[in-house]
Formats: sequence, structure tokens, C-alpha cells
Amino acid sequence: MKLLDILLNSRLFALIIKEIRQILRNRQLIFLLLFPPTLQLLIFGLALSPDVKHLPLAVVDYNQTRESWELVSALKENEIFDFKGYQSDQVNLSQKVQQGKLSVGLIIPPDFQRQIKQGKTAEIQVLLDGVDANSAGIAQGYIKQIVNNYNQKIADVPIQPLITTQVIFLYNQGLNSSWFFVPGVIGLVLTLTGILISALTVIKEKDVGTLEQLLMTPAAAWEILLAKIIPIFVLLLGDLLLASTLGRLVFHLPFRGNFLVFVLLSSLYIFVCIGIGILLATLVKTQQQISLISFFFNIPIIQLSGAIAPTESMPIFFKNLSVLDPLRHYIEISRTLILKDVGIESVWTQTIALLIFAALILSLSISRFRRQLF
Amino acid sequence: MKRILTQCIKELAQFRRDKLTVVLAFVLPLGMLLIYGFAIRLEIKNINLSVLDYDNTPFSRSYIERIYATNQFVPVRYKTGGLDRGEVRATVVIPPKFSRNFQSNIRSDVQVTIDGTDVNNARVIQNGIKATTNFFLQDVQENLPKFKIQADTRIWFNPGRKESLYIVPGVYAVILWVFPSMLTAIAMVREKQEGTIIQVYASDLSSTELLLGKWLAYFIVAIAEATVVISFATALFQIPIVDNILILIGGTLSFLAAAVSFGLFFGVRSKNQTGAVQGTSILGFLSAFLLSGFIYPINNIPYPISLLSNLVPAKYYIILTRDVFVRGTGWPSVWYIPIVLSAVACFFLLICSRILRKMQFSD
Repeated sequence: MKLLDILLNSRLFALIIKEIRQILRNRQLIFLLLFPPTLQLLIFGLALSPDVKHLPLAVVDYNQTRESWELVSALKENEIFDFKGYQSDQVNLSQKVQQGKLSVGLIIPPDFQRQIKQGKTAEIQVLLDGVDANSAGIAQGYIKQIVNNYNQKIADVPIQPLITTQVIFLYNQGLNSSWFFVPGVIGLVLTLTGILISALTVIKEKDVGTLEQLLMTPAAAWEILLAKIIPIFVLLLGDLLLASTLGRLVFHLPFRGNFLVFVLLSSLYIFVCIGIGILLATLVKTQQQISLISFFFNIPIIQLSGAIAPTESMPIFFKNLSVLDPLRHYIEISRTLILKDVGIESVWTQTIALLIFAALILSLSISRFRRQLF
Repeated sequence: MKRILTQCIKELAQFRRDKLTVVLAFVLPLGMLLIYGFAIRLEIKNINLSVLDYDNTPFSRSYIERIYATNQFVPVRYKTGGLDRGEVRATVVIPPKFSRNFQSNIRSDVQVTIDGTDVNNARVIQNGIKATTNFFLQDVQENLPKFKIQADTRIWFNPGRKESLYIVPGVYAVILWVFPSMLTAIAMVREKQEGTIIQVYASDLSSTELLLGKWLAYFIVAIAEATVVISFATALFQIPIVDNILILIGGTLSFLAAAVSFGLFFGVRSKNQTGAVQGTSILGFLSAFLLSGFIYPINNIPYPISLLSNLVPAKYYIILTRDVFVRGTGWPSVWYIPIVLSAVACFFLLICSRILRKMQFSD
């Protein structure tokens, strides 16, 4: 009881109350905490999808026999290709692939049936729109598999392949692409909001000139700063819960790992973001510059983090650079803990990295903050 | 006309004097080009894969050798929980009696477990292993009749599947939308913030002249920016123009006109620089980045968000740049794009002039 009394009467507590009142009065801040995170989560989660599905496909069938029709229907029978009808000739077909109106063009030669009947190999030609190199590669793999399966079906002696592969996708059986993006976007949301909010609250005092007044009070610099950090931290924790709830309800994220560990490690990352925000605020003079400078700071942070494209595929220089990106480590943590049923032992390297970042950035920003005061 | 030009020259002089904006206009776009152009690659080339071989015969080892021979996979020693810790992306388990079963014509199942976290690469891995297994079978299984149909696939434009060819033309759209619009917005809002706009209001300059003067100045800056970015990237990434250069010029000019007008609109609307920057960066950046088909195919955007993507100018410009730098099909497939983009430019300019018509402070 006495401890609580001391706490309630302390300067720090009074300062925290002041900060909370200031935040609650600031409508722009509340807006920034609620609206952009929701929008970003929904748009990123819904709009980004590397699925290779419903690729427009058209066929030129110079053979027009039962065999060729069966081949075409084998290609039609799945979600990967959308059959867009037959084309009259090859020139027409290739032109449409070239213009991007078709992703796949199939040409069946006139002697298709005859070759098969004579036991020779019939060559069909497949044209793929290669502008999107990634999708083209996956589509190519699918076509090969479909043609192979069809080959096994039409063989004179039923083919028994003696080795078959049984593929299991762990952690994301349905290959639901939002499960890849949304855990990353949670990290992205914390970064964008955390940096901006903490920078704005610190710089506002500087901008308006009330910082000098605060300094004349008996409160120490660390009390002033801590009183600023704590409410922001609580608000960002709220943002994390908002994002997790949206992820759970809209995208059905499984949250297989321990949720408490997830919240704990996320808190660690929130401190990193607050540190970056305060650091940026010490670098510039006015509120005006903050939004601009945080925008440019955010681009490399997001791009090197693997939120959108995997870090493994980056060229070696950028891959090494990405180790310096705290968001990269956090995203690895959040993807692991949301999708896999594992604990902190699977992400301890990332946790240590975040601890180092938090310690470094927070102490740097606090020392800079103090230096500019005196 | 003369007054528009004077206004434009004044604006350019102001632009040159402000170091921050010069950095904003030229250094940052190039930095962004490097990061986006080099760091966005979707397909992983060296995938960590471990094999657990319960058979351990020359036959099973030749199968394993075949898997790693594709250069797609990097061998990693098998450890329990390797997938959980993210050390490997996939594991292959070869059952006991793999080779004996094969010799006595009994089927064996190879268990492939793939980390499905990265959905795209999970598919790439699946296709890779299946294709290798098929090739292996065709070599070793003697009773296997020759396949009757052979698919001869040709990947057009990009037989080596170089991903930069897909990404870099898209980067042009993101950069040339975000930076010109942000510069314009800042320039417009600065006049308001510093109060110098009252002097403009008091002069006999009309609102249209003011707007067009600013527009022209930043249109010129944007053209310089585009020239620098595109020529730098062409040399760096070796992505030459394969189409009529007039398409690139026409498309880029109209796209820049739209971007500058969009920025002008935010400059006229916002009260301070924070609003202008937030507006152009968040709205402009997110739309150009997410809804334009820059990274992932635009057909994958679900309804009703897909309707929204039709309103994003960057979407049209990306279609055009991919045509100019990759497809090379010429005017017939992209003729409408400069028209659409010019219409967007006119639309925003008209709104600006409506807002500014009274030439008075709103409050």
C-alpha cells in the first residue's frame, strides 16, 4: 500500500498523467494510432498475393482429335489455368501472349494424334508470358506435371512410377498467402506507427517550446523521457493487439506459438521503434521535417525486412545489410511464433539481436536527447 | 502566358536554393532505385534442403545427387527440428528398402516436407523436387515406356527468367509517382505556411496562372528526375528499350503530369507540410506500391479492391513500361495509356483550380 502511495505521489507518475492527458487531447495522434494500421493491415493482407492461379490460357489445336481434346481438358481441369477458348492460328496466339492478354498459349501440331498412335513422341508447344519471371517459372512447373500425368494416363501399358513424392506443406497447409504477409505487416505497422508517434510527441514539446519549462521543474531528464515513453509503449501495445485481433478475425492467423512470448518479444521491438522515433526527433528541429524524414527512414527498413519479398533471395550485399535491420529480426520472430508451434528457443538469435538493437538505440537516443537539453 | 513563365522561373530558382528538396529530387530516388531494383527478388535460388536417407545405398545416393545437381538446393545436414528453427526450407525422407523395392518393382514414397511459411517459394520447391524425381525416373526405370507427349515450353521475353526485368520497370512507376508529387505538394504548401501566398493573392496573378506556373516548374523538375532515374537504371541493370522510344516519352510525360497534378492537389488541400507529406507519401506510395501490380500479379488482387486498382495511375504506367522495356509490342496495345494519364492530370488540375478559385483563406 505504501509502495503504491509512493508511486502515485511520485514525479514520474505526475508526468505520466500529463503525457496521457496530452495524448488523449490530440485527435491526430489517436487517428494515427487507429486508422493507418487497420488500413495497412487490410490492404497488404488482401492485395499482396503471389498465387499462381487463373492464368488465362488459349489453345491452337491443329489436330482436332479426341486425343488433343483430352489434353486440353486436362489443362482445364484445375484452378491454375482459365481456359479462354481456341485461337484460329499460331500468329494470333503468339500475338496475344506477347501483348500479355494471355499468360499461356498451347499449340498442338497437326500430326499430334498420328505421332501418338505410331508410338513416337508428339511435341506440343507451350508459350509462356515471361514478363513476370516468378509466375512463369511456377506455371511452367505445373504444365510439366499436368502433361506428365496425362502421359501416364494414355500409356499403352499402365505406367507405374516406382518413386512417387508425397509433399506436405508444414505450418501453412493450404498455402494461404495472407499467412505469409500479415505477420510481416504486423511488424510493419508497429514500425511505421511507433516511429512516427514517438517522434511526434517528443518533437512537439521542442517545437512549441514547452521543453524548457519542463526542464525548469525539479523533474530529472530521465523522468521526463520515461514519462513520455511509457504511455506511447502502452498505446503501441494496444496497436499490437488491434493488429493481432484483425489478423485473427479477418485472416484467420493460427497463432500457434505461445501468445505471451509473442507479446513479450513484440514489446521488445516496440522499444526499438520508440528509440528510433526519439532519435529522429533529436535530429530535426520541427514537426514539419519529422514526417518527411521518417518516410525516408522507413523505406529501407521495410524493404530490407523481408516483409514483402523474402530476404534469402536478396543479393549478398543486401542480405548482409538486412542483418542491421531490426524489423527483419522481428518479422522472423512474428512469422515463426504465429505459424509454428514453437517457443522462444527457435528464435533466440533474433531475440538477442533485438535486445542489442533496443539497448543501443535507446541509450543513443536518450543520450542525444539529454545532450540537446543542456 | 508570360506570367506563368515568370512564376515558373521563380519557382525553379527557389527549388535550386533549397538543398533539402534537391536531395529529395535526385539522391533519394536513386537510393530507392538501388534498394528496390536489387533487393526485391521473389524466387530463392539457394534453398537449404536436408535429406534423411534411411536406405543408404548407391541407388538412393544417386537420387540425392540428382536433387542437388539442379543447383536449386544447398545440402544441409539433417537435424530434428531444422524446419522449426528455419534452418532448412525442406526435408526429403527416403524410406528404408528404397532400392530393394525399386528392384522388385514395388513403389516407394519419398516424403517431402516443405516449410509453407513463404508460400511462393514453397511452390517453387515442390515443382523442383517433383521435376527432378520425374527426370530421375525416366533415367532409371527401364520398363517405363517413353512419354508420348513432350511439352516444349518457351518462356517469352525472358528465357533466363531474370527477375530484374520484371521489377525495374515497375520501380520507375513507384519512384516517378512518389517523388514528383511530394516535391510539388511541399512547394505549394510552403507558400501557404510561410504566408507568402497572401502576397500572391494581393497581386494581379490569377489562380490559374499561379497553379500553372508551379505545375510547369515541377513538371520540368520531374522530367529531369525521370531522365536521371531511367538512364541510370538502364545502364546499371542492362535493361534496354525494346520498343518505340516515343511510347516511353509520351507515357512518361503524361505520367509525370499526373503525378505533379496529384501533388499540387495535396498541396492546395493541406494546411501544413506534415499533411502534404503524409498525404502524398501514404496514399501515393501505398497505391503505387500495392495496387499497381508492381510486385505480384495484378490479377491476384481480389474484388472489390481490384476496382480500386483501376484508379491507380501507376498501374497504367507499369503496363506501359513493361511494354517498352520487355514486351515491345508497340502502340496498338498501349495507345490508351497516355490518354488516361493525361485525363488524370487534367482532373486534378481542375480540382485544384476550383479549390483555389476564390484566392482567399478558407478560415
